[in-house]
Amino acid sequence: MEIAIDIHNLTKYYGDLLAVNRINFQVKQGEVFGFLGPNGAGKTTTQRMLTTLLEPTEGRIQIYGHDLAQDPMPVKRQMGLVPEESNVYTELTAWGNLMFTAKLYRVPPGDREPRARDLLETFGLWEKRHVKVEEFSKGMRRRLSIAMAIIHRPSLLFLDEPTPGLDAQSARAIRKMIRDLNAEGTTIYLTTHQIEEANQLCDRVAIIDHGQIAAIDTPEHLKAAFQKVQSVEIALSPDGGTHGERLKTLPGVSQAVKRGDKWRLYTEQPSALLPRLVEYAEKQNAKIVSLCTLGPSLEDVFLQITGQEIGAVQHKTKTSTGKIRKGGR
Amino acid sequence: MSRGWITRLQDEISQAWAVAVKDVRVYYLTPPMIMFGLMLPLFLFFSFSIKREIGLEIGLARLLALTTFFTASSAGPVIIPLERRVGTYDRLLTAPMSLTTLLLGKTLVGAFFATLVSAVPLLISILGLGVNLADPGLLLISVPLASLAFSAFGLVFASIPTRSVGNIMMPSTLVRWPLMFISGIFIPLEEMAPWARTLAYFSPLTYAQDLMNHAVLGKGFLNPWIDAAILPLLLILFLIPAARLHHRSRVLGY
Repeated sequence: MEIAIDIHNLTKYYGDLLAVNRINFQVKQGEVFGFLGPNGAGKTTTQRMLTTLLEPTEGRIQIYGHDLAQDPMPVKRQMGLVPEESNVYTELTAWGNLMFTAKLYRVPPGDREPRARDLLETFGLWEKRHVKVEEFSKGMRRRLSIAMAIIHRPSLLFLDEPTPGLDAQSARAIRKMIRDLNAEGTTIYLTTHQIEEANQLCDRVAIIDHGQIAAIDTPEHLKAAFQKVQSVEIALSPDGGTHGERLKTLPGVSQAVKRGDKWRLYTEQPSALLPRLVEYAEKQNAKIVSLCTLGPSLEDVFLQITGQEIGAVQHKTKTSTGKIRKGGR
Repeated sequence: MSRGWITRLQDEISQAWAVAVKDVRVYYLTPPMIMFGLMLPLFLFFSFSIKREIGLEIGLARLLALTTFFTASSAGPVIIPLERRVGTYDRLLTAPMSLTTLLLGKTLVGAFFATLVSAVPLLISILGLGVNLADPGLLLISVPLASLAFSAFGLVFASIPTRSVGNIMMPSTLVRWPLMFISGIFIPLEEMAPWARTLAYFSPLTYAQDLMNHAVLGKGFLNPWIDAAILPLLLILFLIPAARLHHRSRVLGY
């Protein structure tokens, strides 16, 4: 398989702050590659360097064999970018936005209108094509932003946090669109902190933490490498608030975490824990509403690697985030 | 020139035009912008002309110089940081066009707007007040030339690495307003002390005012062809720091 993106020792300093520290990885042509990390870990900085918006301090980026620093134009023609904030012109209509982007990317004049129509229909915006975007909902703007990013039919699409803040229907539509584009041959580079989204969509994921690649593999391989974070999930009735402390003391349980009305108990031996839980419920006069064993999720892997909850910001990175945002993160 | 270069040039011109047309539609042809473009130079003109018994022609030459200067150099410093803040500037920077093309597109639209706004007092003066132009042909090239140079001048401030319009307005105001007073607009070059005239030569507005004087009044202090040659040179000169500041923005991440 050909290599779409090849990164070698990529480094970025903001003043004295090291945001990305000599990272190396490759993205294969035709794959959906997820780039995961907590806030301030260096995800967006890396993506901005890959899309020519930010100059690396050191290192080399090659996209489709072109050195991005020396020869960016062929790469720019082949890539599309959907940033975290939908960067559409709210003063223009959906049609006006698409026409402008088509001209910017030199889409042949005869192809512009058919492609715009096709995209607007695909994204459910055709009826609103003459409405100014300022009247669009967040989900509609997001869909338009994606349509604008692909009107020139890029072979490489960068998406930065494409679904947070959207309703379930819009998020599902966008995930379907990502799958469809990938099925048509588009290489997808997905920056996200939505672990489950990455799990569902990505062929491979890289986890970045404190500016360094902490792991890179397929979601299933990563999960397999972390068998120690298997768990048993139990829902008890009545759901007393004191179960956690007591469940944690059961033999073999390393951690008890409340998830909604359930408790997730981490253990290396789920099968040995099951009879102990039944016994516990009987002693507590509690009814077991549900009980199941779970393999490690990608989120568990992420937590093991980064040592923090998704979206949490450690003190060190908090400082960096503030500094980086000031500089354009 | 190879075919590849010709195609590339065609592409870049079309892209610069697309950026200019988009900016006109999105930012320029809005009532506040038109009012600002017309009113500010008019207020400035009246502030420094009332009760000074200047002729209509002198007044028109001043007004045209002020209009091109303030209108062309005002919009850029507002639009680029605004586009940076909402993320639309990233769309332009990632598009397959050179930075020069982007800057030229932005320059073009500021110049177009200033030329359009300048046409209002010009038409009123000619049709309503009966002002006679000494050299209408020269005026026809001097207004766009001055507008292009001043639009690029505004772009230098617009390129400062920031997403806040406020951060740009202060340096822009601090530089542009003093230039108005040293440029032979209110004190003609021939009446200036030698040191003041030397200072005036450092202002781009000096050459626009002198050229407007030639076109409207039929007389100026410098050779009109020197004025007409310096303005496009200034356009190129101003694009250099604008491009460098854009590069700095790429390093800093704005």
